[in-house]
Parts: sequence; structure tokens; C-alpha cells
Amino acid sequence: MSQFFQVFFEETSEHLANMENLLLNLDVDTPSLEDLNAIFRAAHSIKGGSGTFGFTDMTGVTHVLEGLLDRLRKEELALRPEMVDAFLAAGDILRAQLEHHQGGPEADAGGIEEIRDRLTRLAAGDAAPSAPAPAPSGARARVLDLVCLFPPDLADSGEAVANFLAGLAEIAALDIRHRPDAANGLLEARLTTSLSDAELRDALAFYLAPEDISLAPATDREDAAYGLFDDAPENTAPAEDEGYGFFTDVEPARADPGYGFFHQELGASAPPLATESGDGAFGLFEDAPGAPESPAHQEISPAGGPVAVEGQGYGLFPDAPGAGGPARQSPPEPDKQATAPGASPGRRLSDKPGIEIARSGRRDNDKTVAASGSDTSIRVAVEKVDQLINLVGELVITQAMLAETAGGLDPIAAEKLLAGIELLSRNTRDLQESVMSIRMLPMSMVFSRFPRVVRDLAGKLNKQVEMRTLGENTELDKGLIEKITDPLTHLVRNSLDHGIETPDKRVAAGKNPKGTLTLKASHQGGAVVIEVMDDGGGLNRARILEKARERGLAVNDAMSDHEVWQLIFAPGFSTADVVTDVSGRGVGMDVVKRNIEGLGGKVELESSPGFGTRTVIRLPLTLAILDGMSVGVGGETFIVPITTVVESLQPSLDDIRTLAGDSRMIHIRGEYLPFIALAEVFGLPGVEDITRGLVVVVEGEEGRAALFVDELLGQHQVVIKSLEANYRKVPGMSGATIMGDGRVALILDVAAAIRLGLASGRRRAAA
Amino acid sequence: MDIVDGAPTSGEYLTFTLGAEEYGIDILKVQEIRGYEAVTRIANAPAFIKGVINLRGVIVPIVDLRIKFNLGEPSYDQFTVVIILNIGKRVMGIVVDGVSDVIQLNADSLHPAPEFGSILDTRYLLGLGTVEERMIIMVDIERLMTSQEMALVETTAA
Repeated sequence: MSQFFQVFFEETSEHLANMENLLLNLDVDTPSLEDLNAIFRAAHSIKGGSGTFGFTDMTGVTHVLEGLLDRLRKEELALRPEMVDAFLAAGDILRAQLEHHQGGPEADAGGIEEIRDRLTRLAAGDAAPSAPAPAPSGARARVLDLVCLFPPDLADSGEAVANFLAGLAEIAALDIRHRPDAANGLLEARLTTSLSDAELRDALAFYLAPEDISLAPATDREDAAYGLFDDAPENTAPAEDEGYGFFTDVEPARADPGYGFFHQELGASAPPLATESGDGAFGLFEDAPGAPESPAHQEISPAGGPVAVEGQGYGLFPDAPGAGGPARQSPPEPDKQATAPGASPGRRLSDKPGIEIARSGRRDNDKTVAASGSDTSIRVAVEKVDQLINLVGELVITQAMLAETAGGLDPIAAEKLLAGIELLSRNTRDLQESVMSIRMLPMSMVFSRFPRVVRDLAGKLNKQVEMRTLGENTELDKGLIEKITDPLTHLVRNSLDHGIETPDKRVAAGKNPKGTLTLKASHQGGAVVIEVMDDGGGLNRARILEKARERGLAVNDAMSDHEVWQLIFAPGFSTADVVTDVSGRGVGMDVVKRNIEGLGGKVELESSPGFGTRTVIRLPLTLAILDGMSVGVGGETFIVPITTVVESLQPSLDDIRTLAGDSRMIHIRGEYLPFIALAEVFGLPGVEDITRGLVVVVEGEEGRAALFVDELLGQHQVVIKSLEANYRKVPGMSGATIMGDGRVALILDVAAAIRLGLASGRRRAAA
Repeated sequence: MDIVDGAPTSGEYLTFTLGAEEYGIDILKVQEIRGYEAVTRIANAPAFIKGVINLRGVIVPIVDLRIKFNLGEPSYDQFTVVIILNIGKRVMGIVVDGVSDVIQLNADSLHPAPEFGSILDTRYLLGLGTVEERMIIMVDIERLMTSQEMALVETTAA
């Protein structure tokens, strides 16, 4: 069973996400019927699934949710913004409940009650504040007789009955004639409601098996003939066959289970089952004539009944004239219709068969789509993928070694071998690319959560914000995707809180009262660039400088904008006057910066007063691969991450200055940078003559430095391997990698290497 | 001294030579034996840590026990052997002069090593074994390789 639970959990979270997405995109003034239907279907599927699996708390919430949605999609009510809010809140509650069922903390019971109330009130509509007479425009209040048979065990516990009645009271005015008790499980009541039969059955389907419910227009009222009279002419035709009579009796089971309760259970397998069971159903009916009619249909097992009936729904109705005809004419005992369970089908069929068919057809399609959607992806443990990536990395190295060895062969004698090796190298490269792409996920995974964040925040801040996303399909490593979400959320909150102004300020500045927040992702030369842009007021240079002075940071008015913006990244820096619960505590930007640098990325800010701010995040494509420049020092190869490299050049002796005797500085384009000879730092026999080596200018956390190396070897994409797994952390190194020739090269941790270099300089000076 | 707790009562040992001495280690800790190949040096590491190699995609540190135990001038040629060990979840290699044998020894035939104040602390010795008149120094390789003085494993004290 647990695997079905898992499927339910997954499907439900998909439905919830889908619902939220649709809600956010819904145009409140002119909602598209299609969207409303889609939202309804999502809610409905959750209801069906949770009912099947016995998660009654979720069923309860979805039930009221669905009730309101149903009235919206039938255009009985107009959509209002507070409804969307209520739907979103209900979605949150459902998500909390779902998490609870998955072993999370219990969902807030007060919240559940509140949302149910809210939805019920909204569903009742302002037009009908008094529950007993819900008669909104477009729907006629009808009086129906309801007869339900409670199974003895349910009838025995008053609670179930009370629940049932309470549920019923929400949707209809009740006049109870016989309350079920242990002795007699029959409930007879007269309902006044505007809901259609299908909706009522749907509503009741939570509590009772559909076979046990009978609904019919009240017999002793004029307008109650409503359903009956439609059928009346046809009813004159006598039943041709006892078997058909039986067949009709099953009809009510068809309408509801197919629609409300069971279709979820049938799930993706429904279409094939339908054809099969269609036959089965007919087989059953042919055997049926001898069966006693009235109780018989109640004894059809819930599992068998709906399946057979689903088959009918799909198989039979499309060719309705032949099969539907006799059924419609058949009710053998019209006089019993008002009370006998299962007697209403005659009316039901004539009610709106066309619509019913259309609906089943549509559901069928939806299911097919969902089924094929879930079949096109598989869930795999990340370790398996990583193992695959490692193995392919090995293969690439082996292939490189083979190619190197083969390079020495006679091209004519070894023609075939060389061709094979050539092919191997191409295939290996393709293989590596495909394998790496497994870990890649589209940015939409991250972006998709922001419309909700923006919506909620904008509401809280009384701002009008439109969110746009660009380049959602840009792919990024899964590990990065997970870690970029929090920094991005910070930036988005900042933009909303400090960037975009209130509508009146915007109007005063001659701007559209509605601010725009843009999230954009793109590839730029082996890196992924994520931008958060707003068209707000921009950063206030004077304020930042003033705050920086207050905090005792070394600033002056001559600083470039770029340097001023960098101050924002100082720990605890905030220019907000008021600390709100949204932002302003000044814990944001330095954390953002640290997180992004931890991922091997960079953050930059651009701002222009009055026009907005743009934050640019540059990230490597993946955490497992690094773009590096390989440098040779004393016979060893080191990898310098390319993101840290500013430039490399050949130094001349004149550029080298000494400070306090021994610490060397290099003069590059007006800047004095510490000159760090890596060979010295790592105790290697490197080149001594400065003119024979090269200088790589790197930028670390604490500024720039010039690293002196013997030679530049090239630029590679290297696979990062851990040194700590079998050894320990090596000072000045962030990891290791395996080069094309199979040798290990260490990856320089630039910031740490600079610190080491400066420390060794000091030591030498002290000696 | 006491026999180290957890010492096997009987088992197979791989013996190898370092200079003129013969050592034995628990064979279950040995993953494979391979020739010496060029290593990548690690800056500022103790001299006996030769560096790291690429063992089928895994970065493995290599320790030269000859340097560690101060047994003559280490030379590296085609006969130099690296024993790859599996210790805990870690993989590491030791450079030795040669692998000689696999022997069976009972705990009873182990003699406690005398305290000499030698470079090889008796803490890391299981005892001395005798096989065909040869003396074999039985090393608790796991304890040795994870010790602080080998500096192979990060210690919390650091």
C-alpha cells in the first residue's frame, strides 16, 4: 500500500503546484473557463485521491474548495480577488496536511477550520447569506427527496451520521424525516438546494457508497415532477427485457463513481481497463436477469461496480443510440421511482447525457496526458547519477590516455585502430555531455516559486508588482539549483521591500504604478548568469555612504559607484529606516554574497537612481566541474579557478618593488599588488628569475594579488575530486583533479593561497 | 606489554620488506598491490607523505614507510611496490621495498615487542612473529595509519 501512498503524495503535490500556478496566473476580472476547470480538476483529483486513501482531513478541505470552484466554473458566482487568496490559503493548508501524512508536523487545526469557513462563506455567496435558501442567480432551488441506507456499523455510530448531516447541511437545507439508527440505517430527508444531482452525489460520496444513495425530485410537489415528466413519454414503453431493467439500476453507480469518487483510484490504467471491463460489464448483465433486482445492485462490490460502469461510460455512451436507448425506455416500475434506490437513472439519463459524455471524454484525455507525462521521467537517487558521472570521468581519462599512446603509431599501419580511437573519443565526449546533463535542471524549478513570494509580499507591502521571468529553460546543476534558491529569495525580497516604490510614489515619479520585477537566467560562456532586476528607486549612494560612515567603514566621497555598491555586502549593513518583517535587518546581502561565493560564483550590483537596480549572479554550470587555468610551478601542475583570474602577464624587473626590505610588490596599471611566488609558498623548486616566469593576477576574498608561476599550461574543464575523502585538507588547496594524462593536479584555493603567501612573506621578513 | 585488544587470534598476514626488515600486516586490510608510479607532491606535507595518485578516479595519498621508519635511502624503480590499503572508509597507499609472502600466524606465536624507544612506537605493533627463522614485525596498520603522527587523517585536535 505504501507505494500507492507515495504515488498519491507525489501526484497531490503536483496537483497543488499546478493549482497554485494556475491561480497565480488567473485573470480575476475575466477568468478563463479553461483555467477554472483545470483548477477544479486539480482540486477534484486531490479530493478523490485523499478519499480513496482515507485522508479524510484533506477530503474535507478539498470538498469545500471544490464546491466554490464548481460554482465559479459554472459561472454561478463571479471570481473575486479574495477568493483567489482563499484558494491559495487552502492550497497551503492542503500542503501542510499532505506533509503531515508524510510524517511531517500536524497541520494547524485552527487554520483548517478557518479556511473551510472562509470557503464556505464565499461559496454561499454574498447573494445568499442565509444558508437555508441558497438561491443565487442562474441556479434554481430544487426540492429533492434523499434516501440513503447507512451500513449498520456506520448507522450505529452516531458520529458518522452527524458528520454526514453536517456535511449535507452545508450544501442544502434539510428536512429530516427519518434519522438512521442502529436498527434501521435508512435516512430519509427532503433537501432544498441549488446544486445539481451530480454535485449532491459528489458531496455525499464521501460518506456513503454511491449505491446506497438515492436522490429523486420530491414526489409530492408540483415542480418535483420536473425530472419525471421528461421521462414520462418514454416510460410508457414497456421494459423489453428484465436484463435491461437491471442494467438501469446500476446507472446511478455509473454517474457518480465515474465522476466523483473512483476515477482517481482507477488512475492511469483507466483507459485500457475501460475497454476490457466494458465487455465484462456486458457479460455480467447477460447473466443477470435472474438476479433479484432491487437489492442486487447494492451488493455489487464497490470495486467491481465502478469499473464495470466506467467501461459503460466510455464504451457505451459514445454509441449511445443503440445502447442508451433501451436503457432509457426501460424503467420497469416507474411508480417506485421516487423512493426506490437506483430508480432515478431514467431521469438522469435523459437529464443531460450529452454533457456527461463530454465530461467523461475529457477526463479520459486528461488521464492519458497525465499518464504519459509520468512515464517520461524516472526518479533516480542522486548518488547513482554521481557514480555514473565519476565513471564517465574515468572513461574520458582512459580515452585520453589511449589517444596519447596511439599518437605514436604509424598512421598507415594502424589506420583502423586510429579510426576506432577517433570514434571512441567522439562517443566519449557525447556520453560525458549527456551524463552531465542528467544533473542539470531548468531554472524554472527555482523561478516558479517566486510568483507566489512576490504576490504575497506585494500584498503585505501594499505595492503593485508584476513579475516577469526570462530564460526559465536555462539549465543548472541540481546542487546549485538547491543552493541558489535562498540567496535569490533574499534578493527578490530586497527588491520588493527597498527597490520598488509604493504606487503613489511611482506615480509621482512619472512611472507606471505597477512595478516590474524581472528574473532572468542565461548562459554566458560556460557560466550561468542570473539577474534580479527591478524598476524601483535604485540604490541611494549618499545614504549608503552615510550609513557606512556611521558604521565606521573606511569610505570617502570619491569612491566609484561600484565600490559604494559593494558596501552593501558588508555584514550587518542596512539602509532601511525601519526593520520590517520582510527585510531591513541587514543580515541579507552579506549572506547572499557568501553563499554565492561558496558556490564558486560572483555577485555584482548595478543601480541607477530612479531607474532601478540589477543584481547579477554568475555561477559555474555545475559544482562538479570547474573551469580552470593550469599553471606549472616547479614541475607540478596547479589549477587556478578561472573565475578568480583577472589577467596574466609577463612581469619585468622594474615592476617589482620591495616593501620593508623583503615583501615584494608588483606594480600593475597603477596598482601595487602583493607578489606571491607559488614555488616559495609550496616549497617547490620553481623559476627564480622573474623575467622567465609569468604573473597571474587573481582576485580573492580579500583583494587582488599577483601569483608568480613558471608557466601557463592551458585552460581546462576539470572534474573536482575531494582530497579529504582519503587524505586531509591541504592548506591552500580546495581539491584535486585528474588531468588528461592520468596525473593528479591540485586545485588552488586562491584566497587561502594568498593568505599563505602573505604569511610566508611575513615569516621571511621576521627571520 | 599487553597484546593489543582486538588482535586477531589467528589470521593471514601479508609480509613485505623495508630495507633488511620484514613486516607483516593483516591481509584483510590490503586492497591491492601495484607498482610505484609518479605522484603529485603535496606542499608542506611531511617528507614521508610522497603525495597523491589517481587510483581509477580516486585520489589516494601515498606514504613511504621507508622514510617514515628511517630505513635507508629510498629508491624508486620498477621493483618498488605500493600496497593499497583499505582502512575504515579510506583508501591509502604505502611504499615498500617488496612484497614477500602471505603467512598464517596464531596469536600464541606472537611475542610481545620489547620497549626500545624505536621510531616505530610499540603501540603500533601487534608483536613479533617467527616464520622459518625469520623475524616478522607485525604492525597494527590501521592504528598506525590513522595515528596523529602519520598526519594522514584530519584530527579534531588540529
